[in-house]
Amino acid sequence: MVTYLTRHLQVMLSALGAMQRNPAISLNTIIIVAVTLLLPLYLYIAVQSGQQLSDSWQGRPQISIFLETEVADREAALIYDEIRLHPAVELAELISPSQAMVEFRALSDLGEQLDLLPDNPLPFSIVAMPHSGHASREHLQRVEQELQKIDGIDAVRLDLAWTDRFNALLALVTQVATVLSALLVVGLIFIIGNTIRLLILNRRAEIEITKLVGATDSFVRRPFLYYGALFGLFGGLLCLALLGATALWLQPFIDQLAASYQGSARLYQLDMADIATIVLIAIAIGWLAARWSVARHLQQIRPN
Amino acid sequence: MIKLSRVNKQYPNGYQALTDVSFDVADGEMALVLGPSGAGKSTLFKLITRIEKPTSGQIIVQDQNLGRMRESKVPFLRREIGVIFQDHKLLLDRSVFDNVALPLIVIGMPGDEIRKRVRAALSKVGLAGREQDLPVALSGGEQQRVGIARAVINRPSILLADEPTGNLDESLSDEIMDIFRDFNRVGVTVLIATHDLRQVERLGCRTINLQQGQIVSAPPREVG
Repeated sequence: MVTYLTRHLQVMLSALGAMQRNPAISLNTIIIVAVTLLLPLYLYIAVQSGQQLSDSWQGRPQISIFLETEVADREAALIYDEIRLHPAVELAELISPSQAMVEFRALSDLGEQLDLLPDNPLPFSIVAMPHSGHASREHLQRVEQELQKIDGIDAVRLDLAWTDRFNALLALVTQVATVLSALLVVGLIFIIGNTIRLLILNRRAEIEITKLVGATDSFVRRPFLYYGALFGLFGGLLCLALLGATALWLQPFIDQLAASYQGSARLYQLDMADIATIVLIAIAIGWLAARWSVARHLQQIRPN
Repeated sequence: MIKLSRVNKQYPNGYQALTDVSFDVADGEMALVLGPSGAGKSTLFKLITRIEKPTSGQIIVQDQNLGRMRESKVPFLRREIGVIFQDHKLLLDRSVFDNVALPLIVIGMPGDEIRKRVRAALSKVGLAGREQDLPVALSGGEQQRVGIARAVINRPSILLADEPTGNLDESLSDEIMDIFRDFNRVGVTVLIATHDLRQVERLGCRTINLQQGQIVSAPPREVG
């Protein structure tokens, strides 16, 4: 067993040495692997970041309830109590017309025009947050209908359309990313496979002699599988480095964009599981490509 | 034992390399295959090592019928046969040690045992101390000795040598042939293809004469 593992280690080190002796071919392939992996990863991060944003909205869905304009303070307080005690509602906040006006004034540029109004036209409103168990679209719509029936309520707004559109967009991007990733993986397999083909041709004489002295196909195949896996490994690591550099460069622009919407946003951060998965996928692609190339080209080399 | 029965070999381009070839070489025997270039000597060796398959006929090597042998078993057959070539077939970018060690690396022998065996094999062919030299630093005769050391390192039961003295002068040729005779004396079956009639007289072993792919004379081996 020790001898077997030692042989594998020797083959891997010899593959590393051969990569070092062919720096142009090796570096080209590693850069191509890294850049090709980058595109689907950018899309993955975009989708995950969008998902984060979407989750943060859906995790705290809000129901905006507008009371009729003629509802007075006491009646508003009673309606507020009724909503607060509704089994589907976890939290509720009563916003008086004056509070609403202050907020509206802050958010709009209509300060002077608002001063011209004879009195405050805004009604009492209540912002309610349902229990997490009632956060699904169906539950929220049922609650909306129930609240609508309470006397004194003018309108209930459950604005899910925007998040629905956003989620549909995310789903579309996810599908595009999936198809694109599959195509790029096929492309990568061809690129790495072609590099392996060149390496096989470079070592044709050695392969012939090795077969002549009794090497099995798996023995001859092994170094090339290591080449493929190492191309994948280094390509995956370079890709992660480029990804990190891009994220650092982009974050200020994202902060700037988020600030203009009075919010904050961060790009999805890859965790250790993501990083390990990316590297393992890259290694697997390299290995698969090598396996495919070796199967095609090694059989054609026979001792002469 | 090597036994060929009515073997024919025609290459895909239509060239008939061997026609109705039959002979056998007993275990521990040394025989020479004589014939000019193009007589079919190399094809014969390719058939015995299963580099090529016969178009028809039967080849038995060490009790294995090569016609029925599965492709996956061929490497194991080749481990029992040491082959020496006129052009040596050495890896020019590897040291003498690496070249000779190759058959042992292939079978996964531990490093210590490989070092021991390589030193012994190089010593046997008169190249002790040249382990780290590259083949290009060696003369033709020395390169041939490296080829022989590689062929015998795995202690094969059969040695095939295809024109092993083709590029060597008389004195070196004799030295190389003597090495083969030494191996034969310890029980290795040796089959040497050559067109050097002088070696026939020197070695005094059985000869199989090939002309244009056909056996023109193959004296039966002496039994007992």
